[in-house]
Amino acid sequence: MSSNAIKRTSALLTSLALLGAAVSACGGSKEGGNASPSPSSTQTASATGSASASPRASGNAGKKIKLEVIETGNNLPAPDQDIIKKELDKALNVDFNLTVYASGDDYKNQLNVRMASGNFPDLFALDRQQLIEFSKQGLLLDLTPYMDRLKQVSEFIGEENVKKGAVDGKVYAISKSSQIPYNTYFIRKDWLESLNLQVPKTIEELKKVAVAFTNDDPDKNGKKDTFGLTGGELNGAFAPVFGAFGVGSPGSIYEKDGKLVNALYDPAMKDALAYIKDLIATGAVDPELLANTALQHQEKAFKGQAGIVWIDWPNMTKQNMIEQIKAVNPNAEWIQMEPPAGPAGKFDGSWEIGNTPGRYAIPKALEKDPEKLQRVFDLLNYVSDPKGGSLLVQFGVEGTHYTKDGDKIVMTDKAGEVGYSWLYQFTGRPEMSYLQTKFVPQADFIKFANDQPRIQTLNGFVDLPEGYIASDADRYIKEELAKFAYGQRDLGEYDKFLKTLETTMKYKLFMDAAQAQLTALGYGSK
Amino acid sequence: MVKGLEDRLFNALVYAVLVFCALLAIFPILYVISVSITPFGEVLRNGGFILIPRDVTLTAYKTLLTQSNLPQAFKVTVLITVVGTAINLVLTGLMAYPLSRKNLPGRRLVLLMIVFTLIFSGGLIPTYLIVKSVGLIDSIWAMILPNAIWSFNVLIMKSFFEGLPEELFESARIDGAKEFRILFQIVTPLSIPVIMTIGLFYLVGHWNEFFQAIFYVTDRTLFPLQVIVREILMQSQQPLENADNITPTQTLQMASVMIASLPVLVVYPFIQKYFTKGMLLGSIKG
Amino acid sequence: MALAALRKYWPFYVMLLPGVLFYLIFRYFPMYGMVIAFKDFSMMDGILHSPWANPWYKHFETFYQSPYFGELLRNTLLISLYKLVWGTIPPILLALLLNECRIRWLRSIVQTLTYMPHFLSWVIIFGILIALFSQNGGIVNRWIVEAGGSSYPFLTSTHTFRSVLVGSEVWQNLGWGAIIYLAAIAGIDPTLYEAARVDGASRLRMIWHITIPGIRSVIVLLFILKLGHLLDAGFDQIYILYNIQVYPVADILDTWVYRTGLQQLNFSLASAVGLFKSLIGMVLVLFANNVAKRWGEGIW
Repeated sequence: MSSNAIKRTSALLTSLALLGAAVSACGGSKEGGNASPSPSSTQTASATGSASASPRASGNAGKKIKLEVIETGNNLPAPDQDIIKKELDKALNVDFNLTVYASGDDYKNQLNVRMASGNFPDLFALDRQQLIEFSKQGLLLDLTPYMDRLKQVSEFIGEENVKKGAVDGKVYAISKSSQIPYNTYFIRKDWLESLNLQVPKTIEELKKVAVAFTNDDPDKNGKKDTFGLTGGELNGAFAPVFGAFGVGSPGSIYEKDGKLVNALYDPAMKDALAYIKDLIATGAVDPELLANTALQHQEKAFKGQAGIVWIDWPNMTKQNMIEQIKAVNPNAEWIQMEPPAGPAGKFDGSWEIGNTPGRYAIPKALEKDPEKLQRVFDLLNYVSDPKGGSLLVQFGVEGTHYTKDGDKIVMTDKAGEVGYSWLYQFTGRPEMSYLQTKFVPQADFIKFANDQPRIQTLNGFVDLPEGYIASDADRYIKEELAKFAYGQRDLGEYDKFLKTLETTMKYKLFMDAAQAQLTALGYGSK
Repeated sequence: MVKGLEDRLFNALVYAVLVFCALLAIFPILYVISVSITPFGEVLRNGGFILIPRDVTLTAYKTLLTQSNLPQAFKVTVLITVVGTAINLVLTGLMAYPLSRKNLPGRRLVLLMIVFTLIFSGGLIPTYLIVKSVGLIDSIWAMILPNAIWSFNVLIMKSFFEGLPEELFESARIDGAKEFRILFQIVTPLSIPVIMTIGLFYLVGHWNEFFQAIFYVTDRTLFPLQVIVREILMQSQQPLENADNITPTQTLQMASVMIASLPVLVVYPFIQKYFTKGMLLGSIKG
Repeated sequence: MALAALRKYWPFYVMLLPGVLFYLIFRYFPMYGMVIAFKDFSMMDGILHSPWANPWYKHFETFYQSPYFGELLRNTLLISLYKLVWGTIPPILLALLLNECRIRWLRSIVQTLTYMPHFLSWVIIFGILIALFSQNGGIVNRWIVEAGGSSYPFLTSTHTFRSVLVGSEVWQNLGWGAIIYLAAIAGIDPTLYEAARVDGASRLRMIWHITIPGIRSVIVLLFILKLGHLLDAGFDQIYILYNIQVYPVADILDTWVYRTGLQQLNFSLASAVGLFKSLIGMVLVLFANNVAKRWGEGIW
């Protein structure tokens, strides 16, 4: 095609595209549209007024209102088999329409596209990033003036969590009640016994045991096919080790002696890295540690390749997990282990207190439909009522899925029918009691994991500054720490690493923002 | 005879390489099938890799097939596949034929337009807005129309049509045949291989339809097969802190692969017989 | 003049109409979205009313200024080129071999088997790769150890990871990619072979002089189209297979955009990178098409 022809056709194409743009722009693409219009807008007046206090659906003399909620999740049954939905429909006089997306990415796409096209759901899950973005763009309903209508919710989740849903002092999202930590070291008890060793209590003992697991054939099969320690990448396997030195996980921010400290700048970090380097050099650590991006470490533990793994109790102690473990080796026995003691004491890694397991927001457009808005509030209040809806979304229907023995709740064998109920826990649940009721055989593991001391980190309270590319800095940190840990880079260069991080990777932007925001919240100034 | 020996050696070489390729392909298929019928504990015990199953269990398949959403999803997928592929082929063929006529004015423009869309795209949000303004959101057509024509397939078909001998068209035109008739009664029967191929591509595309479904549709009764299957599998994307999560085993994952791809695997051997030479033979002479 | 063309060729234009409508509506109308790359996209304002980025190349700059930019570009190009080179030939060879196979049942079985890996998702293939190549007891390493060597980290070493990427994709695509060539071969006039046999040509010569030229247009077509996506390099595969240790050789534009752009809700950045890739792809396609025209091939 001659260059003239190319020019001509390109010009034609561009004009085609622009023409298309003009037409579609005029057509349907203006956003700020309405949330799904409620068909029952010709309501009796009573419906709107009597909204507030009562946790059960209030004054809903009118028709059923359709509520649309989206979030991530899986295994939601079809609507006609969804018991929880039916109960909610009854209790709130709604037609509840929940859509769950198995993949976080798919959910993000869907949420973004619905926000951008004005096709707002009535309630939706979002992360902190989205919360900030959307609230800045005026897409979210400011809940602060409505908080008196959400008293039940505030009571249920607690003042702390209410604050977590706030941006610049205004509440834009309802956070779920907090979680409790799940992770600890798990160690092969039968391997300890076969090698006549005790559960390690200090980091020195940890090293000894890990080495023994690697070299002394603990499974007694004549092959050197085992190693000591594994976990989810560097931060996963060594979380309690960092803790033993009083250091949070790399990149985390916490208070030390009244001041704000970033783990990477903590003087003890170098000591922690030196220990890790030593341990790795002995060959006692999973050689593919850094490739454990999902649950590979669990598989290695089950397969009988690793003797110590830092992991969460559900993935090690639920019934189907035990079955898998025993299927490979009926004598295998995993027990939890307290974090080993180091120069700074015992800490089972870091625990983010600024985080919340989920948060939900309401689109600003919904304020044009006060009746539907009230139903959403009703829903939130209902699932936060410990005497009412909360029990439904935690355990199911009383009498069918659980029974009450005084104050105690006992699951029946039909409980499996509502295993998906967590998808309806829009304000969360009281973690400890919930877990111990639902997972009775694992009650001890749950308590043990929860009881361990941890370093409290504050990153969840920090919003990333403009112009800062977190992913570049994170990659650099991960790569360099790996190099230090594997002896590919001399620890003497650690300060150089920090310097490059601050300048080339612009980490200073992040540090300054964190400092400013956290001090504003009252941290680090004691 | 030297010729015979050379021929036989050649054949031997061909067979050897083909068998090698088959082996390369077969062991992972065996792996998928075997793992799907072996209890997960057993899988782990063998280091996560099984070729010949010893302990057989069909629980994974049972779990999947009795999943409440599956039968409906299956129906939806079959519907989309049949209707969708038909529409695809008609639209693609209608486009490819004129574009293969080298003397058609404006041909280059249209071709450039097609190629341009292979490389440039407006993005997810604008596409969603357009689909919305056309009124397709939450309808089954949202899984068929927005991707009704694949540029790639148009170009391939066009390439094949261009390869048909010109005499064919001339003799037909001399006989007074109209273009539409030529297309349907002459070109189509001669293009069976390419139609089957493109049809296969579209068919597989529809069978594995996933993204458009969750992107444009919120009505659960319209979700196709792969969406339901993915839901069963997608544990790794859920927050690990959720104790309620059910971790699907490899057994379950492999079983879902089998269910999702089996029908298509079954179709292909039937299509293969259309890839025979000699379709043109007799058309010119006859 | 245009009217005369219309009168003469009107059946063709009628045939083209539905397709062109489709392209206009579903492909061209949304293209206004490309301007996101030059704006500070705000959902409330929508694409057309969002403020222009200041300067207009702001988002391209963000991308260009990343300390990893050079590496990303290099990895993307290299991986793509390897996949192009190593990925084009095997399916053609397989198609040729299948065509030469005189035993019907063998041909049928091999064809069906080799096209099956195409249906495995990368998650599953990753599982297979781990089972084979893991340093801890992957089958290949077990053999190596038994033979006296020491196990090798195929999946985490920067030396072998790209080969794993290219190799697994070639394997996955082998049979499926051959389908097109098989269909093309089926369209070759068999009388050509007859004539060649009469002339005493060997099988190899027939392949070289009849079969390959017969599918030349398809080969060129596919090659040109693949060039258009040179900067893609296979996000799905790499995202599933990679880990921090191989970032230096495997982190590509799309994986970077994914971590950066989507994670931080930066549509404009993602759009800018997408536009960048498309522009380069278009230039390559135009160039390749011109070259192909000299051989009588080419798309237009």
